[in-house]
Amino acid sequence: MQEATYLILTALAAGSQHGYGIIVDVSEISGGRVRLRAGTLYAALDRLREDGLIAVDREEIVDNRLRRYYRLTPEGEKRLADEAARLHANAMAAMRRLKPGLATGMA
Amino acid sequence: MSEQASLERRYRRLLAWYPRSFRRKNEEEILAVLLACAQEGQQRPGLAASADMIKGALQVWLRPAPGQPHSVRIAIRLVCAGAVAQLATMIMIVATAGRVRSAIARGYPGLAAAQHDVKTMLVVHYAGAALGVVLCLVATYALMRGRDWARIVVAADFGWITLNMLYTTLQGGAVYAPADMVAGTVEWLLFLPACVLLFTATSGRFYQPEPRGVTAWQGTFGTM
Repeated sequence: MQEATYLILTALAAGSQHGYGIIVDVSEISGGRVRLRAGTLYAALDRLREDGLIAVDREEIVDNRLRRYYRLTPEGEKRLADEAARLHANAMAAMRRLKPGLATGMA
Repeated sequence: MSEQASLERRYRRLLAWYPRSFRRKNEEEILAVLLACAQEGQQRPGLAASADMIKGALQVWLRPAPGQPHSVRIAIRLVCAGAVAQLATMIMIVATAGRVRSAIARGYPGLAAAQHDVKTMLVVHYAGAALGVVLCLVATYALMRGRDWARIVVAADFGWITLNMLYTTLQGGAVYAPADMVAGTVEWLLFLPACVLLFTATSGRFYQPEPRGVTAWQGTFGTM
């Protein structure tokens, strides 16, 4: 799973969000390292919808502009959990092999 | 015209790069996000935002159709590589044209007709290679979108490459145009497995899905 996809799914794990909210949340989750832009975000959202990992939760009109909220589907939750477990296992393996002092410093 | 209206118009121009079906679903929403991300008084889309929009458009255009089997994915990569090989062949023909001409002139001194034939042959090869590149790119896109006719195009292209290789070999191409022969062989070796993969039973199901809820007689005579 690509990092942008993983972060978008993570942003939606706590509850439904609209496009701009996802951009802000992804930036926070990644500590400001990943700054999604609209082109990348909507290409990813459209693909995730097609794959059944997210769905439209509701739509609102705010200041005459469409605001669409997205949520994780059960399939999306499972994929995110699997990916998080895989990344966690990899990170743990790396930590076990690092020198004890260095691993503690990174934790 | 206000600053925001001017910015919106320019963003809409960028959104025109996306497929129509995607725009119908997402245009207003993307526009809202783009305008929310814009800075106070901004009138033009930034370079990074514009590049990201075009990248996003390419991602949407080139996205594989849902349910694409592994065999089709590999075949598409091979056809893509075939397009690159055809481009390389075209460059090779252009680059080695002079050498081919002099090799033939040495082999057949004073044969003006042979020189004329070679010139004609080279023009046919340039056109054929250029057409091949375009066909490969069109076929790649259509194969990704699950269009059945694209398989026929790839098979026809493979047939053309095979005939061309046979003809060039019979004409002694290995002697007077070895570089072109190598490029042609690479193309042939890419298209052969691509064709085999595109016509497997799994790929066939992707390109000709079973009609849902249509009975045999409806399939034969159509629906009222």
